[in-house]
Amino acid sequence: MTSVIAFRGITKRFPGVVALEDVTLEVRRGTVHAVCGENGAGKSTLMKILSGVYQPDEGTLEIDGRPVRFAGTRDAERAGIAIIHQELALVEQLSVAANVFLGRERRTRAGLLDDRGMLEECGRLLASLECQVPADAPTGSLRVGDQQLVEIAKALSLDASVVVMDEPTSALTEAESARLERTISRLLVRGATIIYISHKMDEVFRLADRITVLRDGRHVRTVDRTATTPREITGWMVGRDIASADLQTRRRRGDRLLQVHDLSLPWPEHPRGYRLSHVSLDLHAGEILGVAGLMGAGRTELLETIFGAGEPTWTGEIRLEGAPVRFRHPREACDARIAMVTEDRKRLGLFPDLDVAGNVSLCSLRDALRGGLLSRRREEAIVDGTVRDTGVKTPGLHAAITGLSGGNQQKCIIGRWLLTRPRILLLDDPTRGIDVGAKAELYALIDRLCRDGMGVILTSSELPELLALADRIVVLAEGRLTAEFSRAEATEEKIMHAATGGPPAGYPPT
Amino acid sequence: MNGTGTPTGGWRIPRHELALVGAIVLVYVVTGWLDPNHTYFGNWAESRDIILRNASLLGIIALGAAVVIIAGGIDLSAGSMVAFSATTCGLLLAVFSDVDDRRLVTVGPLGIAAAIGGGLLSGLLVGTLHTWLITAIRLPPFVATLATLVGLRSFARAMCLFVTRERWGSESQQINVNTPFFAWLKEHNVWISTGAFLAIAFVTWLILSRTVLGRHLYALGGNEQAARLSGVRTENVKWFAYCFGSLTAALAGIFLMADSSVAQPGNLARGYELNAIAAAVVGGCSLQGGVGTVPGTVLGALFLRLVIDAVSKLIKASADIYEGMIVGIIVALAVTLTQVGLAAKGGRVLFPGVRGLAAIPAIATFAGLLAMMGAANVDAIKGRTAAFGLAAGGCVLAILAAVRWLESRRAS
Repeated sequence: MTSVIAFRGITKRFPGVVALEDVTLEVRRGTVHAVCGENGAGKSTLMKILSGVYQPDEGTLEIDGRPVRFAGTRDAERAGIAIIHQELALVEQLSVAANVFLGRERRTRAGLLDDRGMLEECGRLLASLECQVPADAPTGSLRVGDQQLVEIAKALSLDASVVVMDEPTSALTEAESARLERTISRLLVRGATIIYISHKMDEVFRLADRITVLRDGRHVRTVDRTATTPREITGWMVGRDIASADLQTRRRRGDRLLQVHDLSLPWPEHPRGYRLSHVSLDLHAGEILGVAGLMGAGRTELLETIFGAGEPTWTGEIRLEGAPVRFRHPREACDARIAMVTEDRKRLGLFPDLDVAGNVSLCSLRDALRGGLLSRRREEAIVDGTVRDTGVKTPGLHAAITGLSGGNQQKCIIGRWLLTRPRILLLDDPTRGIDVGAKAELYALIDRLCRDGMGVILTSSELPELLALADRIVVLAEGRLTAEFSRAEATEEKIMHAATGGPPAGYPPT
Repeated sequence: MNGTGTPTGGWRIPRHELALVGAIVLVYVVTGWLDPNHTYFGNWAESRDIILRNASLLGIIALGAAVVIIAGGIDLSAGSMVAFSATTCGLLLAVFSDVDDRRLVTVGPLGIAAAIGGGLLSGLLVGTLHTWLITAIRLPPFVATLATLVGLRSFARAMCLFVTRERWGSESQQINVNTPFFAWLKEHNVWISTGAFLAIAFVTWLILSRTVLGRHLYALGGNEQAARLSGVRTENVKWFAYCFGSLTAALAGIFLMADSSVAQPGNLARGYELNAIAAAVVGGCSLQGGVGTVPGTVLGALFLRLVIDAVSKLIKASADIYEGMIVGIIVALAVTLTQVGLAAKGGRVLFPGVRGLAAIPAIATFAGLLAMMGAANVDAIKGRTAAFGLAAGGCVLAILAAVRWLESRRAS
């Protein structure tokens, strides 16, 4: 068997982070090759190198044994590589046929668009994929599963020899998933090679011929499916060390601060129907509750619902120190002394046009007033204390926030919230995209806040982080709470198992 | 963006503002020198009054536009808002004067106060309507204020017909205002409107840089989602921004009505909204939101009006024909100059690809035509304008072609 694609010693660095390090991997012709790994393991970066979005800093990419260098996605397309992204890249206003032929429109001899020809060809492609939608339907009116097939039809019309599917079933119904699997076997018959990115073990073991596991940007292992088990794969996906410098200090668990009971959040436009389903948990003062779960498991939605920042359509009960609450705006949550550090720092946290001081003081400007007007001196005094306290390294209080490293930006945002003197701190994946040293400082900070009596809910895509910091860990999988572990009983394997598949026997206790 | 746009920060050099001051001085000196009559040096008081009055009215509207732009929105309706508030004010004067007094000289002080109050209130109404359209109906600000730009003027005209018919029995397209108070306003229009402009500028500066609301305006414009997640009531902040935008236009409407002694909704202040936005942009506001200052906007308005006046001095033509062209060129230049800075550092190419190649003759053609028309006013060239225009266009073509050639060499 020959390898159609070979990554040889691929390294890709981003400012402050090594996304891929010396990854070597071969994909054999005519097989389904699964790539597994935790969030942030480097799967997407590797596929972006394959599709020409990124260029590797070191190493070479070989197609059919010849080294290639893609300057852009067009080069990759020409080499016969098609990617079905998790977020589909279709123009919703255009028809299905127009999307399939976008950028390569067929023309009649007069130079006009050959609509009829494209519709016919597109109809043939769709029929071969068991897709029942008319080729002239507006793409936006299609279900996600059908839209995905449109992307595949596009790949077929390109005569792609390699099709990469990035978590293709995350938004599909059972029937649509089954149809996708049939499509994959049809593609194989045509001689195509499939790279299948997923963390659902049942799918991977049903479809894949070979399985590669990535972890922290490194290649862990590539094995034949027949030579391994799901438990072994999930074991390889995890198992990292973390410099947990004495974070296991004794915390004093206080009164119950927050109680979430039977929380459900509907999701009408999705086949699953809900973002969260019957989630119950509680949080005490002076403890860190970890929330584990893969991308799309509902971690962010859970925190946003508590904080009053999400969809107001949730049902269930949230009690703050025993009293039922229902926040309709983050302001109300702030007033109840709840703080939330959002997941996507750049998009949801930072104000790029404000300087460091403006970013830190934003939520507590009332404390900087004198005679109804902002006093620059008071503001600086407040910010200065916080910046010291959280250990922000900045050239000055009025430096541009965009000039700081990710870790220092995050400390500024945490500082912003600490100034509101919260009782409950919600941290949504606070260490994402932050270098190792800054992470350790953040861990120490979170630990200290907790010992001072704050209740902290921490989500993370990195299990070692949760294991090092949290007193208890709950696991979300596809909107459901599938497990709860005390620190003593939690292991990465147990958590990963609960996050990828079903719950361990006997859970949840109903 | 950490030059001039940030509201916090210790003292740092306001580069954009200084550049505008420099440009204003430069235009003043060059015009005074080039102008054969040297009116700027010899008879400055007259030009000064015209420029001050026009810049004040433009500036008042521009401050409103700036607040909306800093908050991440846009208000296209200012010109119609001016007409609407002037009409409201004029009609209220008609209502509060004697029935047979069509010159509106018999309005008492209370009537005048009510008319002015009504004009300003109309601004709050429109601002509230904008906010509702934008936050509840979720129209993009561009669409919501485009609708009122088109609709308000027509609404004001219909209102004018309706009230005059009901009050006087005969329809009228306009209302003559000869009320002594407004006549007095007109007589002292330079200093009163300048004073009002400076007062509003001070209040706006105070709000933007010294209040919580002001900081929230910058935060909203810089990152709306983050602002909401930080507990900022973004809808309420928008409410303030759009009301402030409409209120400043409403105030300008009352001044304009006094100036022309007539409330004429059909043509009053047509196109003012774009000049106001242009002044804000020249003054350093970013249409992306989150960036902009009051001093910049004030200087931007002053600079625009000075250049318009200067050109009318130089070519001895009516300024309003050239006004749009001047505003357009200045806005394009103000933004282009920052790009040229980037291009000089190698960060950006000015004439990329085939599009860049096509842009060169397009720019040269416009430059040549402009030079030809301008040359008609210069005695030495009269009669040879076509040749002059051709030569000027050719020069521009050659220069831009050279820039393009340098760029392509650097790229390869």
